Amino acid sequence: MGAVLDRGTAPLLLVPSVILLLVILVGPFFYMVWTGFTDLHYALPGRDGSFVGFDNFRRLMQEDQIFWKSFLLTMKFVFWVVTIEFILGFALAMLLFHYIRQHRFILTLLLVPMMLAPVAVGLIWKLLLQGDLGMVTYYMRLIGIIDLRTAVMSNASLVMPAIMMIDVWQWTPFVTLVMLAGLLSLPKEPFEAAVMDGAGPVQVFRDVTLPLLRPIIALVMLLRGIDAFKEFDKVFILTGGGPGIATEMLSIYTFRINFKNWDLGYGAVSAFMVYLVVLIMCSIFYKAVYWNEGRAKPPKAGKS
Amino acid sequence: MISRGWRMAAVATLVVVLVVFLTPYIWIFLTSFKTRLDALADVPVWAFTPTFEHYPKIFIDKGYLPLVWNSLFVAISSTLLSLTVGTPAAYVFARYDFPGKEDLFFFFLTTRMAPPISIVVPMFLLFSVLGLTDKPIAVILAHTTFNVSLVVWMMRGFFADIPREIDEAAMMDGHTRGGTFLKVLLPLAAPGMAATAVLCFILSWNEFLYAFILVAFEGRTLTVGIPGLVTPHGTLWGQVAAVAVVATLPILLFTFLVQKHLVRGMTFGAVKG
Amino acid sequence: MGVSFNQVSKVFADGTVALNKLSLEFDKGEFVILLGPSGSGKTTACRILAGLEEATQGSVFVDERDITGLPPRERNMSMVFQNYALYSHKSVYENIAYPLRVRKIAKGNIDSRVKDIARVLQIEDLLDRRPSQLSGGQAQRVAVARALVWNPDICLMDEPLSNLDALLRLQTRTELKRLHDDLGHTFVFVTHDQEEAMTLGTRIAVLNEGELVQFDIPRRIYHEPATRFVAEFIGRPAMNIIEGEITEGLFKADVFEVPVTGQPDGPVAMGIRPEQIILKDGPTDEAIGFELDMLELVEPDTLLFVNKGNASMVVRVMRDVGDLVRGSQIHLEIPHRFQHFFEIGDGRRRL
Repeated sequence: MGAVLDRGTAPLLLVPSVILLLVILVGPFFYMVWTGFTDLHYALPGRDGSFVGFDNFRRLMQEDQIFWKSFLLTMKFVFWVVTIEFILGFALAMLLFHYIRQHRFILTLLLVPMMLAPVAVGLIWKLLLQGDLGMVTYYMRLIGIIDLRTAVMSNASLVMPAIMMIDVWQWTPFVTLVMLAGLLSLPKEPFEAAVMDGAGPVQVFRDVTLPLLRPIIALVMLLRGIDAFKEFDKVFILTGGGPGIATEMLSIYTFRINFKNWDLGYGAVSAFMVYLVVLIMCSIFYKAVYWNEGRAKPPKAGKS
Repeated sequence: MISRGWRMAAVATLVVVLVVFLTPYIWIFLTSFKTRLDALADVPVWAFTPTFEHYPKIFIDKGYLPLVWNSLFVAISSTLLSLTVGTPAAYVFARYDFPGKEDLFFFFLTTRMAPPISIVVPMFLLFSVLGLTDKPIAVILAHTTFNVSLVVWMMRGFFADIPREIDEAAMMDGHTRGGTFLKVLLPLAAPGMAATAVLCFILSWNEFLYAFILVAFEGRTLTVGIPGLVTPHGTLWGQVAAVAVVATLPILLFTFLVQKHLVRGMTFGAVKG
Repeated sequence: MGVSFNQVSKVFADGTVALNKLSLEFDKGEFVILLGPSGSGKTTACRILAGLEEATQGSVFVDERDITGLPPRERNMSMVFQNYALYSHKSVYENIAYPLRVRKIAKGNIDSRVKDIARVLQIEDLLDRRPSQLSGGQAQRVAVARALVWNPDICLMDEPLSNLDALLRLQTRTELKRLHDDLGHTFVFVTHDQEEAMTLGTRIAVLNEGELVQFDIPRRIYHEPATRFVAEFIGRPAMNIIEGEITEGLFKADVFEVPVTGQPDGPVAMGIRPEQIILKDGPTDEAIGFELDMLELVEPDTLLFVNKGNASMVVRVMRDVGDLVRGSQIHLEIPHRFQHFFEIGDGRRRL
């Protein structure tokens, strides 16, 4: 409680940040929503932004198969990368936690992929996966995983798995980092109690580790899910959505509608859909992580 | 308790994992020092006589150096702006209760998560109206959308870590509320603030989409310059790799500085790390 | 004329009533203890005096100056916190000098004052250290030095000893008392520890559930507790209380009777301190027979837990109880002059 003075006026310190975000984020957001009700188009004459009601929404929801294909592709991408990254990352965290005492240095090395700019990651992997000359494709050929001389990125059946693999490469260390922090933060007593109760390693993992880590598992999966859903940079560099529309995920699709077709009215609806999904995941995140058990809940300026 | 065999297996697995996660980057690093012949060799070349021609070539002859300065300028400005408006807000969140606090908290979270692709179009239109397009200020402002909330979330945690009694002791020692914040709490939170600043810098430096849409020519940042490197015919991989190294190596060095606070920064303060 | 709380109430945002119309007056130079269990409002009272908390109602005066709405820095008070609240980024020297610097004391003056108070508290050797390099006891002294260095009107202490281990707590307690005797400062000391309160205080204010129950010198708090609550809160083991009824000079509980003097008839709770019950060697006229249920050695004393029917008591005897074992029959005398009588309803002391 503490605060006696300026209790009424202190929240004024929030004003600059809130105003800034209102102007550069919330303002544009509502402008986007408004644009979605118009026919604004920069490349077609006469489409100067007249009000068209729910036309764009209706078209997107009912007629645009490419949008739904793209939506499905994005969902598949999110599902697979989050699943794989979680399993690999968690396993790696368990390994570090149980077997390696000096894991700090190893963690430092592991951080490398996740700290690289996503465009740079795209660029790096583009180089590594060139058909003839790529270092990775060469060794894959050598061990016989793939036998291809064409570039991976122009092969419609390989390109999505490849992009997923790159995302897994970049973000698995993040899962490891957070899960390891979670494991290290757990109290020792429940584990000792379980061992005294006669539980074996598998039972301890299932009955103690997993339940205790549940909030952190939810956190890491949601964060990765939201991020993967927004994925743009890597795909943009690697394929630009191609070949054809084989890798046209929602953000790439939205980008194309807006900046290639210049169909801003329609593009706004697509952009809104992306925002909506992120917002929903965001509220799940907030509920799951910050309200669950009142853990890291926004602090009550509590009593002493 | 743990048998020797298991430990050996664990170490072996880790070695494989590290090779998988590090080799791509090492390869790029090496490529930036390879001659064209070595870079395009049929069989990957690991040992070679290094050449240092790619760095001056791309950054000086081809004019990529200004992009580095732009990136630096944008990242530093965005960091300073975010810290300036975000730190007082974080302090209020850490120390005061007021109606709507939790809603506002959620609002900050959503701004951090907002998908750039959704916002960038109307933001572009807004900045056109304001005459800000193609100026670094546009990117700086765009980057505050995620950096302000990063500051709020991280600094809130650092302030909350300082016992409330410190505020009270400072007031008993004769400070006003404002004096307590400026003279006592800020110095105490300085290490956390430094870590927050570094993370802001990294996020801004690495950002692509806002920068790509909002500045096309003069104000281009390094990430924006990257797509232009990949041309359909004959990519100069040595130079591409050189750009990739310059775009990433400083960030990696920075990362090691803030490793301790990285988990907190990337999980919105939910995990302390 | 000192410090006075006038009808001070505090209600927190969640509706908790921390203080209910507290009125309390004491003089400068006193060592006043605010004593009570957790939730009694003692800390709130101290913080309202400090200005760290705003009173919902009522006013606080110091030397006839109304300080109710003043911020802490204008009150001329200092405070020692339970966790010491030292500035971890400053040296011990700077921690102690800090209030002087904030209060714009001349530079030349600062050094000598810091050194003086460091000498008094015997922390001269620690001045260059960082708070993280101090033990609990040392940090506590630094906190006290910081609170006293600028000669505030009143020094407030919020459970300053509760983070020390038992032995250190005793030593520090003695030193605080000496400090008060030597320097003549006004201390307001919050604690839940009745032993601390009894040894340190010139006067003790006992609080319970936001209300002042008794404000008196330690002796009277012990010998004439104003309510059943005070009686049970002060003294270890706690005073035995037996509910019963007085009829014509005879206190009757379920299974035993004690003659009493000067008490009107009616239902009553009789109290007797464990250390004031007399263990007799055999049956006498005054003694009552009890069965010994349990026996604890608290060298050099012995605690006897005794039963009679469904009445049970604790007795503290300062002598060798020899061959007493569980189940032994023992004989206890409850002397008249040590009997306390409280009303059954509101627990007030019967006169």
